[in-house]
Amino acid sequence: MPREAEISINEREFIKQALQEQIRLDGRAFDVFRSLELTFGEEYGVADVQLGKTRVIARISVDVVTPAPERKFDGIFQIVTEFSPMASPAFEIGRPTDAEVILSRILEKAIRRSNALDTESLCIIAGQKCFALRADVHIIDHDGGLIDASCIAVIAALQHFRRPDVQVEGEKAIILSVREREPIPLSILHQPLCVTFSYFEEGEIYLVDANVAEEQVRQGQVIITMNKHGEICQIAKYGGATVNPLALLNCTNIALEKVKQMSKFIQQKLDEDNKKRNPKGLMNELSAENARENAVIPG
Amino acid sequence: MASALTVVLPGDVVAQDALPTGTGKKKTLTLGPGLRHIPPNTVTTTVAGTLVTDNRKNAALVEYNSGRYTPFAGDLVIATVNGSAAENFNCLLTPETPPAALPHLAFEGATKKTRPQLPPNSLVYCRVASAGKDQPPELTCVDPSTGKGEGLGPLKGGMLFKISLGMARRLLAPKSELALLDVVGAKVGFEITVGRNGLVHVDGGNVRTTLAVGRGIQEVDQKALGESGQRKLAADVLKSL
Repeated sequence: MPREAEISINEREFIKQALQEQIRLDGRAFDVFRSLELTFGEEYGVADVQLGKTRVIARISVDVVTPAPERKFDGIFQIVTEFSPMASPAFEIGRPTDAEVILSRILEKAIRRSNALDTESLCIIAGQKCFALRADVHIIDHDGGLIDASCIAVIAALQHFRRPDVQVEGEKAIILSVREREPIPLSILHQPLCVTFSYFEEGEIYLVDANVAEEQVRQGQVIITMNKHGEICQIAKYGGATVNPLALLNCTNIALEKVKQMSKFIQQKLDEDNKKRNPKGLMNELSAENARENAVIPG
Repeated sequence: MASALTVVLPGDVVAQDALPTGTGKKKTLTLGPGLRHIPPNTVTTTVAGTLVTDNRKNAALVEYNSGRYTPFAGDLVIATVNGSAAENFNCLLTPETPPAALPHLAFEGATKKTRPQLPPNSLVYCRVASAGKDQPPELTCVDPSTGKGEGLGPLKGGMLFKISLGMARRLLAPKSELALLDVVGAKVGFEITVGRNGLVHVDGGNVRTTLAVGRGIQEVDQKALGESGQRKLAADVLKSL
């Protein structure tokens, strides 16, 4: 298995010493995220997240397939992660590192199993046709905080994505192209986001959004996924350090605050993007719910 | 360095009068990285940067900020020990390059009985003894003619900061002038060790000084601060201590 180049003893000792003096390498406070950037692509369903130097791109694509026989009324939703060797010399295609395994497992738990996406809405004809949604997560640059950044990217991309409309006539389904019918957004039930806490000094010190150097020095991590309503979707703890239950409670409070900020940020970016795509609100004119005026047919 | 810098772009033809004339013993012109000779008498550039000429050595090269370090014999580098083999330490110069070999006996005063013990992931300041295309680079911590260390050897304490290769070359240049270091150095004591592989090791005795100096150097590098910018930064650094 490819291994990450380990941090030197000098750096390790320095980071520990600095943390004891309440100093972080980049001058942030312990519970502050790095600067977050979110941009959407030309197409629907492409989100590019930059968290400090970490960069993650998520892309949603859709296909029509036959649903699984035991789940006739459900569509298919799949999250695929890919670590580009461009991001770090430790990444190789086809040979997943521990970080990659953990990332895909957490995303699976956080987004898929928490039912963030209503898969029933992806069904076209029960037992015969459904949409298969695929979220590809590409790690473009690695400076720690991959889980948090990937989760933001997937959730933002899902909210940004529009699937083509379908017309069902009995046993026949027609997928309508973008030209024929305006594509429709996915039905998203809630927006789970991850916040990773890194533990140092036997659980005495914890950091939010550690960079790659801090990640190499930490003793353990706690990943909390929750939505902006404060509902915890999952908690995962990796590494050996013991964590005080009361501290964990405190973590969930911090996580809630961070998740609220991030949700607001994503929503704001989505609105901006929407405004850019839909100048002067012309899209609303297309809605079938609009009042009809009796058009005078000339001739 | 010449007072007026010539900025060149890839494909530019270097004028004859911009090249050194070769006043000394050396008659043949030596072309360094970034320059290409097209027979009979044309010299063109292959990268963007500043043209640097040395009349005494009759040499010309293009100074540019490249991304990746390739070892050359004679470079001073900060290596990370990866592990110890029979006669060598396996070292990494950057995570991207293949490992380099540092012989156990290439330390000052080292003999077969008193070889240095370096645990994995410790830092060593050393010189590239040989580097070829097809063999791993070899490192050394002694001057082969005198057998003295001359400041090379294991690095203790402090902190490592990543800088660009251009910045590392600038800091290692014989007459390097960094206003930031001059101003800060006049008030507080610290020690910096620059490796040509894009690393700088700073030891300021305590966490605050080390961090302030290291981040100051990184900021000068990233924002390409000029003299006045550096003085302003130096004042901020001193205020933060």
